[in-house]
Amino acid sequence: MNFEILYLILAPALTGVSIFLAGKKSRVLSEGLAVLGTTITFFFAVRIAFLTTRGEVLTLFREEFRVDALGGLIAFLVAFIGLIAVIYSLPYIRKEVTKKVISPERLRVYYAWMMIFLSSMLWATTTNNIIMLWVIIEATTLASVVLVAFYWNRDAVEAGYKYAMLLTVGITFALFGCVLLYSGASPHIPSASDPLKITEIAKVTSMIPKSIVNLALVLLLAGFGTKAGLVPFHTWLPDAHAEAPTPVSAMLSGVMIKVGAYALIRTVMTLYPVYPDPIKLFVVILGILTMLVGIFMALMQDDLKRLLAYHSVSQMGYIIVGLGLGTYLGIYGGVFHLLNHTLFKSLLFLCVGAITYTTGTRLIHSLGGVGKKMPITAICFFIGAVSMGGVPLFNGFMSKFTIFLACAKAGMLWATLLAILTSILTLFCLLHAAYCVFMGEIKIDDATHKEVPAFMWIGMVLLSALCFLIGVYPQVVYPILNEATKAIFSMMALP
Amino acid sequence: MEELTKYISTISLSLIITSYLVIELRNLRLSAYAYIVQAVLMCSLFVIFATKNHGLYYWALTAFITKVVIIPYLLLRFIRRTTDQEFPPLIGYVGSILLITIIVLVFYRITHQYIEFVAPTPAAMEEPFRTNLAVSFTIFIMGLYCILVRRDAIKTVYGLLILENGVHLSLVSLAPLLRETAIIGVVSDVVIAVILLLYVISGVYEKFGSTDTFQLKGLRW
Repeated sequence: MNFEILYLILAPALTGVSIFLAGKKSRVLSEGLAVLGTTITFFFAVRIAFLTTRGEVLTLFREEFRVDALGGLIAFLVAFIGLIAVIYSLPYIRKEVTKKVISPERLRVYYAWMMIFLSSMLWATTTNNIIMLWVIIEATTLASVVLVAFYWNRDAVEAGYKYAMLLTVGITFALFGCVLLYSGASPHIPSASDPLKITEIAKVTSMIPKSIVNLALVLLLAGFGTKAGLVPFHTWLPDAHAEAPTPVSAMLSGVMIKVGAYALIRTVMTLYPVYPDPIKLFVVILGILTMLVGIFMALMQDDLKRLLAYHSVSQMGYIIVGLGLGTYLGIYGGVFHLLNHTLFKSLLFLCVGAITYTTGTRLIHSLGGVGKKMPITAICFFIGAVSMGGVPLFNGFMSKFTIFLACAKAGMLWATLLAILTSILTLFCLLHAAYCVFMGEIKIDDATHKEVPAFMWIGMVLLSALCFLIGVYPQVVYPILNEATKAIFSMMALP
Repeated sequence: MEELTKYISTISLSLIITSYLVIELRNLRLSAYAYIVQAVLMCSLFVIFATKNHGLYYWALTAFITKVVIIPYLLLRFIRRTTDQEFPPLIGYVGSILLITIIVLVFYRITHQYIEFVAPTPAAMEEPFRTNLAVSFTIFIMGLYCILVRRDAIKTVYGLLILENGVHLSLVSLAPLLRETAIIGVVSDVVIAVILLLYVISGVYEKFGSTDTFQLKGLRW
């Protein structure tokens, strides 16, 4: 019994509750508790990731919670980005209070919900119960509704409504899918085992009637695909990610959609051995469609955060294509890109937050020459841009190349060509935005403009360094990715 | 079980009628009362099925507490603070009732006839589970219709509640032995979803002056 899993989930949850109760006394108390809570959570996540990525599987309460290498990796990413986002929030939210965008009492609401949001995502990556997986994925949505609508202006409230409504409806489809899987599998599971456990269901998927598998697959893809941002269920994503405060956007885009992809992996990929080729083709087509719609919408954006949000949709397409192929190389590429995207997307959102912090706007047409006053932000944004565009020496190149190779090896050259096209367009789009914003004539000339405080740029520099490190020395993550891919394969009950 | 089939059929038909009422009534307060009636009917259905699967008594109790007490209380309190008249939708009464009737008939027919595509076990294909599954899918689609077609934000919340009712009803046939912790998790999710949705819609009402979702077009592209 590994109680670290329990502490991992409880640490942020209890911190959130204590911030709600005690945070009224002082702002520093809320902020201090939040930093303490995320640091403790991070240490537990590092310990769990260290054990699981060496091949160990951690369980708790008779396999009610189960963390393998994939779960450990994603839990680590959640805790890591959570820590960076909370430290980034310290000056960011203080300035929002100073500018009277939000009232001082809202500060404790912000940190409390951030902790609960973090806790829900960590629970989602560690549960082994199929109905609780659904409950907790829904909980991650509910935990972030208040954060998305946080600014409480017309746009934020509209985004919050669309976010809550679209995701709740979408996830209800996933409930139907989970229930169908559970009920289809439970007659075949021996009475001594618990039919709610995903590991037990995975063993008997070949015995579930084929029509149920088809229906469950469609419902799960619609349901958890909504959460992961797949086309055509992605419409909530640009609104929510753009209108939320930037540290929340970094968490939504950086880790929450990955948790949606994780739920997809846990449920849909158990069905792979039953129906190999039609499912794979369907999922790859869905992934390619997601890629293309995302990038074409991104090219039309003037708002930096909406642009990044559409890029998130596009990059999730890469991850889904990789996972959809079902081959070792494909799944490896998908998980690799999941890791890389977490790093560079969070980095890019934090850079845009820094621009908003200093200049007060995030519209490309009203920004220019920002790099002269904010060199660190500019360099970090460029590193994030070239990483996402797939330029060699940065991490995006390695994962994208793996996915290109996997598609080609699976005989889907059309998919490879479209993926390469999307990558080129991504690079063009981001470099164009970066050039317009950071270079050229200064459009907003204000003597007070300067680089952001250290609490903000420290996370950005750390993420940039990781993007570069993984790009030049990818061997450092290979063992982790290998274990995660093996963990996914072990869930598929091979005939 | 066979003698109860008559009751099950009657209650199932009443569920469809109450869903009609919830969707079509323009007065949101009356829709809430129709929802309470639907929830009571669902609980009685759970109790009838519980004579065969005793775990369903717990389901009935949890459903009663959440669907008959907590959720209508939240809705009525919210309606009292904002407005009790629904913002009129684009499709009028006649068109809407005609459309739902066609959808209901088609869906019920298909799911009842081709139950093999949905029922995971041979037992679930027999009556009365067959009717139960067909009705739950029909209510599911009625909820989806309400969300897609209705213009008023509060009405879309009702649509979501009907959608969830459809899924919870299917659990009777698909997962009768579901553990209590899972049941509590599922229903508490719905309650918290309603609380937070109403919180955001109160913001919509505050900032836009009405709950008309057509006004929410600031974030189009």
